[in-house]
Amino acid sequence: MKRLLPSLRAKKRYLAFELISEEPASRSDIVREVISSASSLLGDVTTSNCGIKVLGFEKGKGIIQCSHTKVKETRASLAALTRINGKRATIHVLGTSGTVKGATEKFLQN
Amino acid sequence: MGKPKFYDFCVHAAPDGDNTIEELASLARHFGYSGIALTNHSDRLPDKKPALPLIEGFEVFRGIELVEENPSKLHGLIGKFRNSTDVLIVHGGSEAVNRAALENPRVDILNHPAFDKSSGLNQVLAKAAADNGVAIGITLRPLLHSRGSRRIRMLSDLRENLELARKYEVSLVLCSDAMSCFDLRSPMETLDFAEVCGLEEDEALDAISTVPERILKKNRPGPGYIREGVEVLEGEDIF
Repeated sequence: MKRLLPSLRAKKRYLAFELISEEPASRSDIVREVISSASSLLGDVTTSNCGIKVLGFEKGKGIIQCSHTKVKETRASLAALTRINGKRATIHVLGTSGTVKGATEKFLQN
Repeated sequence: MGKPKFYDFCVHAAPDGDNTIEELASLARHFGYSGIALTNHSDRLPDKKPALPLIEGFEVFRGIELVEENPSKLHGLIGKFRNSTDVLIVHGGSEAVNRAALENPRVDILNHPAFDKSSGLNQVLAKAAADNGVAIGITLRPLLHSRGSRRIRMLSDLRENLELARKYEVSLVLCSDAMSCFDLRSPMETLDFAEVCGLEEDEALDAISTVPERILKKNRPGPGYIREGVEVLEGEDIF
């Protein structure tokens, strides 16, 4: 199949984040809590429009993908996350970028 | 105009909260704040004043959150703590306390005004707040930590207060009300959360940077300050 041109693809934003938590968490824990916090704050309809995906997560840092028009809502629902597996945790967004490469180079490598 | 400076004016450290002020200050600095105010509740103060940490490029202000049910005792406490603190917050929660706080121009911020079935403000109180320059605090922690019906209740109270504040031009202050490091949120996330909760972008920005700066300026007058609007300026090339 021919690949879609970049200008035709759905626009995304990539949020580089770090996790500050009492106990280490896995990627699946983060996915579950982020989605539950988003659906509680924004409702299921808006959350589905945000298209939140946790792309990668290792060593306390990772990247979350969302729709480019819903960055504000996504960040708000990340702020509303208070616990992971019943242990206190916070997600701190380091920055946003239009590409995974940009987000990795700017915010995750140091 | 340069980059705005962000302040968090309601942070509780040990023994009121869980973490020490050093830990909170360094995390807040990492998040991009320019300063935080240590505002422990007045009913859980330590015996001696805690030393505020000195961090380069970051300021920790001395503040207090007064908890008192009796309005006349509250006025006494305000007089007692006013001169030794940069930020004076009153913990509201009843009609009488809210009124006493908003009618006292020496108070900086009123937090948690909501009680029972009221958002805590009404037309009369909002006008008093605007006249006396008392800001209404929007605290993040209760909003973040609750879900469902409780959060819905708080958000509708917030919206009600917001409409009154817009009508009477009452200032707002966004603060975390953090009891531990895990309650702190970075300024950008605080702003986005506030916008999702119904504030406009510029209102939220004012509430986290301009209004706190104004409070600080009011409480730390320059050397030639005489009274509001009157100041002696030194130097030759003023005009």
